[in-house]
Amino acid sequence: MLKDTLHKILDMAVQKFGAEYAEVRAQKLFKTMLTIKEEKVEAAKEGIENGVALRILVNGAWGFASVGSFDSEALVNAISGACKMAKAASLRLKSPIKLVESKAIEDHVEAKPRKDPSKTSIEDKIGTTLAIAKIVLNYDSRIKSCTIDYLDLTGTSCFMNSEGTFIEQEKLYVWSRIFATAKEKDVFTFSREEIGSTAGYEIFDVETPEIVGERVAKRAVDQLRAKTPKGGTFPVVLGPNVVGVFVHEAFGHLAEADLTLSGSVLMDKLGKKVASEVITIYDDGTIEGAFGSFKYDDEGVPAQKTLLIKDGVVVGLMHNRETAQKFNAQPTGNARAEDFRVEPIIRMRNTFMAPRDHSFEELIEGIKFGYYFKSFRGGQANLDGTFQVGVQEGYEIVKGEIGMPVRNASISGNTLETLYKVDAVGRDFELWPGRCGKGQTAFVCDGGPHIRVSEVLVGGGA
Amino acid sequence: MAALKEGEMISLAEAAVNYALKKGADEAEAFAYEGLTTTVAIERGQISKSSRIIDRGLGIRTVFKKAAGFSYTNILTSKAAVEEAVLKSLKSAKASKPDKEWQGFPCKKPIAEVKNTFDKRICELSPEELVKAASTMLEAAEKTDKRVLPVEGGIGASYLSKAIVNSNGVTSFDCGTLIECSLATVAQESGGVTPVCFEFNLERLYKIDPEQVGVEAARQAASALKAKRIETRSMKVVFAHFALQQLLHYTLMEAIKADCVQRNQSALKGKIGEKVASDILTVYDDGLLEGGLRTWRFDGEGVPQQKTPIIRKGVLEGFIYDNYSAGKEGKESTGNAFRAGYPSTPKVEVTNFHIVPGEKSPEELIGEIDEGLLVYSLQGAHSSNPASGEFSVVATPAWKIEKGRITHAVKGAMLAGNVFDTIKNISELANNERKTWQLVAPWVLVENVKVIGK
Repeated sequence: MLKDTLHKILDMAVQKFGAEYAEVRAQKLFKTMLTIKEEKVEAAKEGIENGVALRILVNGAWGFASVGSFDSEALVNAISGACKMAKAASLRLKSPIKLVESKAIEDHVEAKPRKDPSKTSIEDKIGTTLAIAKIVLNYDSRIKSCTIDYLDLTGTSCFMNSEGTFIEQEKLYVWSRIFATAKEKDVFTFSREEIGSTAGYEIFDVETPEIVGERVAKRAVDQLRAKTPKGGTFPVVLGPNVVGVFVHEAFGHLAEADLTLSGSVLMDKLGKKVASEVITIYDDGTIEGAFGSFKYDDEGVPAQKTLLIKDGVVVGLMHNRETAQKFNAQPTGNARAEDFRVEPIIRMRNTFMAPRDHSFEELIEGIKFGYYFKSFRGGQANLDGTFQVGVQEGYEIVKGEIGMPVRNASISGNTLETLYKVDAVGRDFELWPGRCGKGQTAFVCDGGPHIRVSEVLVGGGA
Repeated sequence: MAALKEGEMISLAEAAVNYALKKGADEAEAFAYEGLTTTVAIERGQISKSSRIIDRGLGIRTVFKKAAGFSYTNILTSKAAVEEAVLKSLKSAKASKPDKEWQGFPCKKPIAEVKNTFDKRICELSPEELVKAASTMLEAAEKTDKRVLPVEGGIGASYLSKAIVNSNGVTSFDCGTLIECSLATVAQESGGVTPVCFEFNLERLYKIDPEQVGVEAARQAASALKAKRIETRSMKVVFAHFALQQLLHYTLMEAIKADCVQRNQSALKGKIGEKVASDILTVYDDGLLEGGLRTWRFDGEGVPQQKTPIIRKGVLEGFIYDNYSAGKEGKESTGNAFRAGYPSTPKVEVTNFHIVPGEKSPEELIGEIDEGLLVYSLQGAHSSNPASGEFSVVATPAWKIEKGRITHAVKGAMLAGNVFDTIKNISELANNERKTWQLVAPWVLVENVKVIGK
């Protein structure tokens, strides 16, 4: 029935309003959210959202409308409004937007969790999060607070376009973030961890309350005796968690084709060497259960494993159908929309550096004085290639050995210069879940092996 | 789609509260929200998109034996869907754990009056008018400097309304408007590209100047070209509006929240009445500021917003509270329960964080600096440590000041420090006050900031 309504709306856009292209995304989403502060449940929350996103191309300009309803009359109004909006926008268009061809697909994608969060009781979810809080708070008397957010999202997303594609995809995300603070005299420390999966609630069988709780609490406590790093240029070894955020922030955003076109430093670098030859980077939407995985993107394009840098050379970018047309490339399945309120834009999925052959000991042994940065706290990039990555867990390296912890460090530099300074890549590998903001939120993973950077600017504390 | 009327919003909320009480809730509260937004977007030098977003819904908090539950729905046309949300809220409350410190929802109080928060003209803007204004901005930027590419931006006009009803007699409605025009730019010259520069107008009334925004965004990008590296040393730093907002948002604005203080997450705990900042710093959290971007008649729990003194002449005067954190200390809420929309429960947030401006013009301020840095934006401010106030960020775009003049753009400079030292080291406040989201402030000069260059 909904399918018939969506068909009618698309036909109307094309036949009555003269759209070159039209798509609808109808979503039914269910969320459970919890906020725990210390051992208190601040609120247990459950909600329902229904809505439709409509996107059309008229005279080479986009029109977009979002309505929180499946009501046929509301959708008819929305599509006629969106067509008018697109026509108004097209008045000043210099170069009309075109889309690369994409095969029409009909498919139904089921989520197959071992433990379905929508069938797990809210009591169970409260129990799990409270158990984490208990582990954190009982770890050490210097732990002062623990805040836990939990979210699961389930439901369906129905995509249909005027080219014959109709995809129904079940959505499933389980996510939690744990914060702890510790205090001793005038020293405050802060520690954060995130858990995220598209597999199911079974993620808590691996990331158990004991494992996660201890990881968060131990870091907050260890940082109490940490010193502030010296500011300046040093050799550093980055752990998989920091490598992930570096690959994502410092390089990944520049390789999102919309930002590349906006003048990012990669604009004229396709096919050229931008990094030392030990570097290979992928953005992969196909890793089973990973937080950034899905079968089809929000333009109905299959997700794939996209090679971005091969042995130091830029070989690919992340595309939607619009940028793929501009670059004369294939779409890569990177068009994602947070929900029906927003339009799809180019986003990363699971972005990582491929491992090579060094052991951790080999990476640190030659460093007289430097830093080992193990876990990040935030990061941000700029189109000119300036990046910043904050560090929540770091250590000195003294004469080839791990020394005292340091706190509130960050690293910065120019992405391409820094990629050339990576002189050794480890053989281990980890992938970490996270959320990326680009006007809307996307669930992603980042990761890689340990790496050594011969020099990078370290921003010290006060 | 026409906006819902005051009566419709209130009755939706009332019906939900009544149904919750009938189904056994001890207390209930319903928050109805509607947002209608029209935007015209600029991407890579052209207007290529426009959108219309209609978002409305209802959030329901219920309390059962001192345990709180919450649910929301955006299906408002069906009575059954609203009732189902009420039942889910109640089910969540019953599944949750009682909180001994729960003291109930707020009681009814006289609602404050606010000025310049609604402008009918914003609701009536046609897509064609928005396209015209966006073109004006775009052309102004392109005319200013040929090396500049307007990367993204646009114009957005919103109508927002909210109603709140609770079982303690609160029944309130408010509506307002918001208009934003913004432009992000980069400049390119001989293979080099600048960091992203940004200018915007964000107002409650239809008082925007797209041409000026275009000119200024282009001017910034062009002057960010030919950036040089800087030596590592401590120096004077002028934080312009946006940079100051980024710096304070993740640090000082966290430290004054009563729940952070009560949970030992604030370095300001126990310091009321003590000197915590420079003598020249006076800060209010002003929920009633005329035309303020976060000015509303009441907060996310229906408590009247107010003007709360935070720091007076460097001395810490108070914190901001919602009803729950106030109850813990036997105090009254300061009207700082913030809601991000109907799918969220209220949490403590600043309204308009107002730093009282000084006397000097920005030119005079710069003119008196022998060596320093003028910083427009910070990269990585969100990686600051909210508990300790420590930050380690990149200043970009930023310009060097030498002998009272802005000489050249600076690249790759990091700033590191602790915000609680930073606010003690403020030596001048300019007179160019401006609204930047939740911050209302002038440019601020800070002495002795550690700048890490090369």
